[in-house]
Amino acid sequence: MLTYTIRRLLLAIPTLLFISFIIFLIVKLSPSDPTAGLPLTIPPEVREQIRESLGVNQPVFVQYFRWLQLMVWNEPLHLIEGWTGWNVAPESTTRIISYQTRSPVMDLIMQRMPQTLWVVGISYIVGIIIALPIGIISAYRQYSWFDQLGTFISMLGFSVPTFFTGVLFIVIFAVNLGWFPSVYDTTHVVTDWDSFIVQLKQIIMPVMVLGLFNASQISRFMRASMLDNLNQDYVRTARAKGLTEKVVVLVHVLRNSLIPVVTVIALNVPAVFGGAIITEQVFKVNGIGQLLIIAIQSGDVPTVQTVSFIFAVLIVLFNLIADVLYGVLDPRIRYD
Amino acid sequence: MNSKTLLLGAAAAFMLSPVAAMAERGSSGHLNIIYWQAPSTLNPYLSGGTKEVESASLVLESFARFDDTGTMVPWLAADIPTVENGGVSEDLTQITWTIADGITWSDGTPLTAADAVFTWEYCTHPEGGCAQASYFDGVDSVVAVDDMTVQINFNAPKPFPYTAFVGSESPIIQAAQFAECLGARAPECTDANFGPIGTGPFVVTDFRPNDVIEFEANQNFRYPDRPYFATVTFKGGGDAAAAARSVLETGEFDYAWNLQIDPTILAQMEAQGNGTVVTAFGTSVERLHLNQTNPDPALGDLRSTVEGGPHPFLTDPIIGQAMSMAIDRALLVEVGYGAGGQPTCNVLPAPELYASTANDDCLVQDIAGANALLDEAGYVDTDGDGIREANGMPLSVLYQTSTNAVRQDTQALVKQWWSEIGIDAELRNIDASVFFGGDPASPDTFQKFYADVEMYTNNFAGVDPEAYMANWRCSEIPGPDTQWQGSNIQRFCMEEYDALVDEMATTADLQERGRLAREMNDMIIQSYSIIPLIHRGGVSAHANSLEGIRMSDWDSELWNIMDWRRAE
Amino acid sequence: MRGLRAMFDTSANKKLVEVDGLKMYFPIYTGLLRRHTGNVKAVDGVSFDILEGETLGLVGESGCGKSTCGRAILRLYEPTAGSIKIDGEEIANVGFDKLRKMRPTMQMVFQDPQASLNPRMTVAAIIGEPLSEHSGKSRSDQLDRIYELMDAVGLNRDFANRYPHEFSGGQRQRIGIARALALNPKFIVCDEPIAALDVSIQAQVVNLLEDLQKQFGLTYLFISHDLSMVRHIADRVAVMYLGKVVELAPREDLYADPLHPYTKALLSAVPEPDPVAHDNANRTILQGDVPSPSNPPEGCNFCTRCPSVMDICRKIDPEFREVRPGRFVACHLLNDTKMPADPTAAVEA
Repeated sequence: MLTYTIRRLLLAIPTLLFISFIIFLIVKLSPSDPTAGLPLTIPPEVREQIRESLGVNQPVFVQYFRWLQLMVWNEPLHLIEGWTGWNVAPESTTRIISYQTRSPVMDLIMQRMPQTLWVVGISYIVGIIIALPIGIISAYRQYSWFDQLGTFISMLGFSVPTFFTGVLFIVIFAVNLGWFPSVYDTTHVVTDWDSFIVQLKQIIMPVMVLGLFNASQISRFMRASMLDNLNQDYVRTARAKGLTEKVVVLVHVLRNSLIPVVTVIALNVPAVFGGAIITEQVFKVNGIGQLLIIAIQSGDVPTVQTVSFIFAVLIVLFNLIADVLYGVLDPRIRYD
Repeated sequence: MNSKTLLLGAAAAFMLSPVAAMAERGSSGHLNIIYWQAPSTLNPYLSGGTKEVESASLVLESFARFDDTGTMVPWLAADIPTVENGGVSEDLTQITWTIADGITWSDGTPLTAADAVFTWEYCTHPEGGCAQASYFDGVDSVVAVDDMTVQINFNAPKPFPYTAFVGSESPIIQAAQFAECLGARAPECTDANFGPIGTGPFVVTDFRPNDVIEFEANQNFRYPDRPYFATVTFKGGGDAAAAARSVLETGEFDYAWNLQIDPTILAQMEAQGNGTVVTAFGTSVERLHLNQTNPDPALGDLRSTVEGGPHPFLTDPIIGQAMSMAIDRALLVEVGYGAGGQPTCNVLPAPELYASTANDDCLVQDIAGANALLDEAGYVDTDGDGIREANGMPLSVLYQTSTNAVRQDTQALVKQWWSEIGIDAELRNIDASVFFGGDPASPDTFQKFYADVEMYTNNFAGVDPEAYMANWRCSEIPGPDTQWQGSNIQRFCMEEYDALVDEMATTADLQERGRLAREMNDMIIQSYSIIPLIHRGGVSAHANSLEGIRMSDWDSELWNIMDWRRAE
Repeated sequence: MRGLRAMFDTSANKKLVEVDGLKMYFPIYTGLLRRHTGNVKAVDGVSFDILEGETLGLVGESGCGKSTCGRAILRLYEPTAGSIKIDGEEIANVGFDKLRKMRPTMQMVFQDPQASLNPRMTVAAIIGEPLSEHSGKSRSDQLDRIYELMDAVGLNRDFANRYPHEFSGGQRQRIGIARALALNPKFIVCDEPIAALDVSIQAQVVNLLEDLQKQFGLTYLFISHDLSMVRHIADRVAVMYLGKVVELAPREDLYADPLHPYTKALLSAVPEPDPVAHDNANRTILQGDVPSPSNPPEGCNFCTRCPSVMDICRKIDPEFREVRPGRFVACHLLNDTKMPADPTAAVEA
């Protein structure tokens, strides 16, 4: 298993290099201009000077290798320095600088991580918590009214876009009932019970909107996987052993059904770090998703490139984790 | 505008605080502002966007500002320098500002002339990429005569010298804080760019780029009773409708900016009674440009160039006049702009001094009159297809604009009205990033103008129209030899007009400048190469509990935030 | 039926399993509204007894309902009708909890040893689970019992912590048998226990089953389509066709002198190891396919394929009755020729 993991990690290096280059080319070659968003009153000569100072006019390959060097060498050094306090990064080390804010992209990402993890992460967990029992009961009572209702709701959750449910939630719960705020406060710090309640109130709507969407997806997986296993002979064996129905379903069927579901869940974890562009926008959460979309809109190549590259790393990593998890969970699979 | 009115304006700005005697600094508590486009930095020299400039205006200030009427008021300066008071030299090449007494930075150190000199050096450094460099155009040097006196020398006579250090776009930054950040090193000073030390009413306590800014009252602010608000949250994100909702419906925020949404929806939100929609009009005008050159594709590379020859019929003002008369501007406002627009007949609608009244006939739609005009000029429908002909050529135009719901509504209405006077229009819309992108290789930019009619909005910053009016000189016509750069989009060319532009460049007297600007405006309008439609304003909303708002489109909307307070 | 019971009441062995009129119908739902439009009559009125210590073979073509019958007897399905008594206790309609407590008495060995073992449990866990569920033994006692069982079925104790996929098919079936034996059952349904195994392994497993039967005094219902294997292991044999038992007889009698036309056809298809006998065998080849159990023919179920079909067969379903001592057949042929005096048969004829 260890050699397998190491081999996969080594293989990931050329993959990631290739991905980073493709992302760079796509971002670079698409028509985007960091000065396009400026008011028409700013004259063309000034725009040209701004572009020059950002280094936009350098050759593409120079820009790419510059970025790559900063990404794989300078930024990790800064990260280590930040974590440990060791003075490993040379004083003059430059970092990846965003065109929009003129500040290090990594700082922006770190700043946005908390709200993204709070909202998207919790919604993922909530989604899983809702989805698993629904999937299990739907499969166990296939074609019952519960199953039909679950199918209907998950179809709804899957097909109704979050910008619709989000705005609907805001109109009902923020505007008409006034229960929850419609604007997320990223500066809020949880220090005690009361501030925790405030935090709970402000995340509940985005979490439910995203959670519903996640739950729809996962509950379908869970149901299908349960159905596959419920008709297996070993379930009959378990019943013949005289086990209670609870043990049969929850221990025998569920544990086997969870194998594919767990890997699907692991594969979707990078999306949690990626944020949820639309939901973040609707609730003004301003997490990673919003960072990315604003960067794309304003032609902020270094930010787009860095955020996409981190996604790519996470996706490759969680693919590996999913594969390893499969091996851990399913004794029939061994990587040697 | 003479020195007297300027001084009066200054006095008025300082006196305008009815409850100032009772209220004290911080007594109004917390203020929530939402800008749905979030600021990415607080250094306006590194980003020219409105959102950055306006958020920075809470902290950074300049010598003079424009109030809600467009009047210049002294801010950090003791008074406004003029030729009369000797602050501007007779030959118009020098202006001298005197810093008012007792102004300190928020860290307690005094503001000196050296800070202004440094600001000029900072923005004009060749490697800095300063977004506001145009405010220092023509500035030869900035000299600190003494600690309190700043002298700006121009390399040519500058009849309107109030550009550098005037308004929110070119504020003074602290030399001590930015000393190490000149030129290419500007982006390395993240702490300074995200938390500039200023002289303004607030200081930054937390800045999160593209997300939120927290401010608190500046304890060293020069007016001991202000600002009335102790803390400010400046939140970004979402969209215009959500920002409007958070002020007008849920009441979570006190002030929301740039609410360009469907006017009926905005009116419904306002009807809830939580807040008020406010507007301020600057110089933005949505207009039609009628191509004076021939865009016929058969001309190949000579399309829409002076060399390609004049337009077959749009150079006749009669046709342009009929097209203008056929348009019901009030209906266009009602459908697309609501409180954010007013019908206008001038390409230069403000400030008041420069606004002509000679063309106001266009405010009333007159289809019958337009038809009569065309009949009289001999443009009649000879082949019975409902479209008039000029010298055998049907009056059929290609009408293009950027992709935008309001613009497409406008296009459809105008097409309908034109069809009623026998002019056929083919509609086309182009993605804004391409249309305004200025790529010389693209055939679809507004500069290339490969169409007969195009529509967009333009304006100028500040209050002086000299540079704006110079846009329509003959030499500004875009063409292949200038990489299609040039601001005379409709390819208008008149010697008399160019002469007026030259005259304005050497005229210092304000009244005289006003006359010249009005004359130039009328010349363009009566050539019917530009048909103005809507005078567009900024639309914001504030909670009913918020007092003291004097929204301005000439400066930052938040220019007088120190006077904002919570109603008792 | 009375006659049958009477006969065995007198014998030394007592009846361990009594099945009477067992029916197992699977409903069919069709259409948009999923209306109940019919039933698959997988088991349609089956009755037989199994004596303690005996092996009853249950044979028939695939799809005849023999596996369903085996599962229904152990209440792995909810029977539609009929009574099942095991060790004197009615189980066809007892509550779930009571049934669960009775499970240790009756166990099952499944056809597919791969699918019937939970892939995520070790051998020890699979064998030990019923122990912890029912026996209340301590952990170390359980482990001792697991080793004991592994020894009994011929598995190496060292393999206790391995997973089922690490074993060969024959070994897996031994795990399945060990698991079934864990709670000292009296009655085991062996549902085609050797069908999925290599021929070379089949004999080993069958011998193991026989040894265990002797050792623990087990009673088997041995379900198989392999007539020669049944001949080897069973004491009595029941033949099923389309959800019904058509013939039930002691092994030697049945193989020597099959009475029902279907049994005759079935036996004539058994490969004969002696080439001479093989060539001279008088084979009965059945025509046509087995009718659908959701729509069985009127009258005798076998009437569509029976070589000696009569008119009555298409109208009246023959009764399953004892035609000779210990031999039960459901066929009109026997009613006419052997039992002319039977009043009902005469009337029906």
